[in-house]
Amino acid sequence: MADALEGLPQHAIERLKGLRDTSRRGGIFTSDFSVNEFLMVGEAGFEPLGLVVGSCIYHTGIQYAAWAKNQEMSVLSQAMYEARELAMTRMEEEAQALLADGVVGVRLEVKRMDWDKDILEFLAIGTAIAHRQGHPGFKGVNGKPFTSDLSGQDLWMLLQSGYRPLAMVMGSCVYHVAHQGVFRSLGNIGRNVEIPQFTQAMYDARELAMERMQHEAQEAAAEGVVGVQLHEGSHNWQPHVIEFFAVGTAVKAIEDAAIIPEKMTPQIVIPVND
Amino acid sequence: MGWFSGLFGSTGDGTDAAARAREWETALERNELPAFVKTRLQETAENRRPWISTSAPGSLLAQRLRGIRPLGMVSGNCWFHYGYSWTHGHYRGWKTALQRLWQEAALMGANAVVDVTMRIRRMPGPENADHMDYGVIGTAVRLDGLPESSNPAVATVSALEFLRLLEAGIVPVGVAIGAQYSWLTPGAGLGGNMTGFGMNMSGAGPMGMGAGGMGWNQEWVALSRLAEQVRRQAIQQMRDDGLRIGSGILGQTQHSELLGFPADQENPYPRFLVRHIAIGTAILHDGRTVKRMGVVPVINAGNAGRLVPDDKSKEVI
Repeated sequence: MADALEGLPQHAIERLKGLRDTSRRGGIFTSDFSVNEFLMVGEAGFEPLGLVVGSCIYHTGIQYAAWAKNQEMSVLSQAMYEARELAMTRMEEEAQALLADGVVGVRLEVKRMDWDKDILEFLAIGTAIAHRQGHPGFKGVNGKPFTSDLSGQDLWMLLQSGYRPLAMVMGSCVYHVAHQGVFRSLGNIGRNVEIPQFTQAMYDARELAMERMQHEAQEAAAEGVVGVQLHEGSHNWQPHVIEFFAVGTAVKAIEDAAIIPEKMTPQIVIPVND
Repeated sequence: MGWFSGLFGSTGDGTDAAARAREWETALERNELPAFVKTRLQETAENRRPWISTSAPGSLLAQRLRGIRPLGMVSGNCWFHYGYSWTHGHYRGWKTALQRLWQEAALMGANAVVDVTMRIRRMPGPENADHMDYGVIGTAVRLDGLPESSNPAVATVSALEFLRLLEAGIVPVGVAIGAQYSWLTPGAGLGGNMTGFGMNMSGAGPMGMGAGGMGWNQEWVALSRLAEQVRRQAIQQMRDDGLRIGSGILGQTQHSELLGFPADQENPYPRFLVRHIAIGTAILHDGRTVKRMGVVPVINAGNAGRLVPDDKSKEVI
């Protein structure tokens, strides 16, 4: 534990030390679990250790796009990726200090600042959990705690299906969509036509984000990625610049059959009150 | 920062951005996909790259137990300019985007695409009012016991709903679309039954064109009829579209707009625009997949407050 704690401020170490072992009197855990989530994490064989956070305030560099050109804003793509990675890594360090097996319910937020459009805050927050029997088979990539944006219920479900979470994987691509020249715009007046330049920009940006996320999953030796979401956003940028951000949880088959929870078959339920 | 170099600026297979742009251009012209996209999709389908699914674990488990395997996320989009016809623009925009998604799924040998979500993108500013992007994203899946397909079924329903439908002997086969619009210029007497309203249009009421200035309750017959007519036509068109591929339509999304424009230099009278778009999943009946459904009462231990959306509970109070 001493190694993992190195580099963390003293007050953080004290806070984290107080959390471990919830069954011991005087030990206390913090989490943002709902009641159901807490029960299901327990059902899955884990106990919560504490809320872990990581943040990164980032100044994005300047990049000028050619007015009439479709192009990736690679400076911004890298900024968005690196800042998220930094926030995640700091959160992971806290989890490591807790000797956690993983972090569930990770929320990754980006906040813009009114006072400077080049400054963005990235925040990663989740609940660190540990396997009750201390089975080593749940660790993520390189023996680090796994990370996942899945809820406690989803974690239980995932283990039921014979998979375990490895890491949150993401891909980002910030793209500048070419402006249409006046001639081209005039040419379209009164016509019903596709604007291939714009189509292409959206297609390429989305493909790049997906490709990068899948590449991360491949690097983590994952079998698949679940619960993938594709976000689109503009973070205080000019109107023709858009970010595609793909994020999901990379998963792998559980190697040790002994730790697969008791098999249950989920029922598909049709609510009759909607 | 060395670890970025492989990820940014150049793509995984080393093609530079300009070459990539050219590939996109040629591919879209030929209604195809660039080679690097094809490779990625095919390698994903062959398990040489991790599969990708929009489904949550619970849904994935239910799918797996019923022989449905995720292959990968597929998508398509089409940025369309609607000059002479909003109707045609919406129809073509969605159809083209769906066709591209279908093409990606076919390349993977998928049997179906589930969880298809539809989204639009616009550029800000009035100069960009007449064009937008129609985008669709979903998860391509393979069904056990069926051979690889070059003609996957596309459905807007979720994977679990897709399963329920199969068990009820119903196969979702595609997406049906209807879009219609019509203008009304009451002041010019073009609105059909305008008795009693013609003189009041340009005067009283909100925006100077409503019927509200007359002081008594009365239906605005012309606009009611137009709205009704546009909606009926849109639904009829969706029905006709669905008939080409299936025998019924489910899970419809309806979107209506009624816009008013005040008189200006080019148009001496205020005008009204009614638009309606209807989208649904077309289905076919197929007895081979039927499983009897039993009804099991279930008590939800979740937070009861969450069963009612916030806005609804406020309405009641």
